[in-house]
Amino acid sequence: MKNTYVSIFKMEFKGELQYRAKAISGIATQFFWGIMYICLYMAFMSSDSVDGFTITQMASYIWLGQSFFALRFPGIHKSAGYEIANGNVCYKFTRPINLYNQWFTEYLGEKLASTLLRFLPIIVIASLLPTNYALSMPVNFTAFILFIISLIIGGLLCVSISMFSIYLTFVTLSPKGTTTIVATIANLLGGAIIPIPLMPSAIQNVLNFLPFRYISDLPFRIYIGNISITHGLIQIGISLIWLLITIVIGKLLIKNALKKTIIQGG
Amino acid sequence: MLYKKYIKMHIKSSLEYKTNMFLLSFAQILVFVAEVLGIWLLFQRFDTVAGWTFYDSLLLVGIVMTTFAVTETFARGYDEFPNLIKTGTLDRLLVRPVSIHYQLFGAKIEFSKLGRIILGIILSVIAIININVEWNMLKILVLISAYVCGCVVIFSLMLVAAGISVYTIENLEFINIITNGSKELAYYPLNIYNKWLTRIFTFIIPVACFNYLPLSFLLGTGSIPMWLCAISPLLGMLFLIPCLIFFNCSLRRYQGTGT
Repeated sequence: MKNTYVSIFKMEFKGELQYRAKAISGIATQFFWGIMYICLYMAFMSSDSVDGFTITQMASYIWLGQSFFALRFPGIHKSAGYEIANGNVCYKFTRPINLYNQWFTEYLGEKLASTLLRFLPIIVIASLLPTNYALSMPVNFTAFILFIISLIIGGLLCVSISMFSIYLTFVTLSPKGTTTIVATIANLLGGAIIPIPLMPSAIQNVLNFLPFRYISDLPFRIYIGNISITHGLIQIGISLIWLLITIVIGKLLIKNALKKTIIQGG
Repeated sequence: MLYKKYIKMHIKSSLEYKTNMFLLSFAQILVFVAEVLGIWLLFQRFDTVAGWTFYDSLLLVGIVMTTFAVTETFARGYDEFPNLIKTGTLDRLLVRPVSIHYQLFGAKIEFSKLGRIILGIILSVIAIININVEWNMLKILVLISAYVCGCVVIFSLMLVAAGISVYTIENLEFINIITNGSKELAYYPLNIYNKWLTRIFTFIIPVACFNYLPLSFLLGTGSIPMWLCAISPLLGMLFLIPCLIFFNCSLRRYQGTGT
């Protein structure tokens, strides 16, 4: 059984690697965007730091966001949404595998592959930029390890939140609409539109109680040293709890949706 | 009139999928609201950027949003141009005895963007009420010409993208950088960016002509001569000429993909 998901994952991974040209233009886009945002936030920050969030930290935060772009955006696997909308999903009902797990691994594979294709060139080029614009090294080795751990949890959390889009697609039959809605909410509340350290502190306190900032904001801030190691450990614990909660709810919702699905023939 | 028929047809076909249309419009509006909320949050924390307040910036957003939404709603056919080439639909359009531009304007009308147009207008109105400007006839004219210029410039960009796709067949991500990039960039006063970024988006792609420059004229700020700011939307509209020539030349080279 385990092998099934491993091969689904591998298949998606290899499929995504085929799109190298897409990745190259994607990298160029991320790069342009990164420079633009850094200029923008620099203009806003004017002084060197805002409550301990310095311009160099901001630049690193932006570059990490651009490098791990694919890992931080909840979406939907390219075929899954349309399968549900056009009814082809019913063929999958006949297969002896758990559909939630299949969608989860499919999407994880797609995301991981597109991240692996893109992140390295952006990180290398961004590190070579002049100071203030550059991606700096992680504050220390422990922080780097914690960054990796929290990034993995964040990626999984992103996929588990994406599963809500699949559930909503079952309800509305509009994959594009639901995905956009879920992604936009996650982006705004997760710091992908405006970095969370640049938001008013009252809002930041509220966002700590939601799952979205544990996708990317937490790992990035551990990396740049904006969150101390001890705080980082506690928050990694919280993100694990969120991961568990979102998976359980997602599984229940999709199970429920599958029960209600009516195949109309044709 | 043929165009009326096109519009009627598109409304009918969109209404066939009501939930989908409703959700798509809602999603579009949500993306837009999230962007504005992001900008608002930044201004909550920092008050001003380069002397511009939230409402000054909101008028920039209003202009950019409205003009993009209007152009994308009605000129969607140009956006879909690579698809028309790939599927061979373009060959069919070319043999019809109606101008290709006429048909492209009717090819697809995106009504899910209507919500964005309305919101763009609402934001513009909120901003206009709140900014500190002594209005006179000239200022009103400059503001209106900024909106017109915005539509013209964005449409010109679509023409270039469509023209390029005659050679490449594919939709190029590179073009998206320019269109979406100029959209995001133009939410804030252009002078806060790097010099070369500002120059590209003033002289090569005249994005500044429909937001930063006319707004500096309204607010009376900036280092550029006021008369130049005032006529900048008119200068920006000239961008259409080379773009249209490019598109028509590309189309003359079009050989079809064999589908």
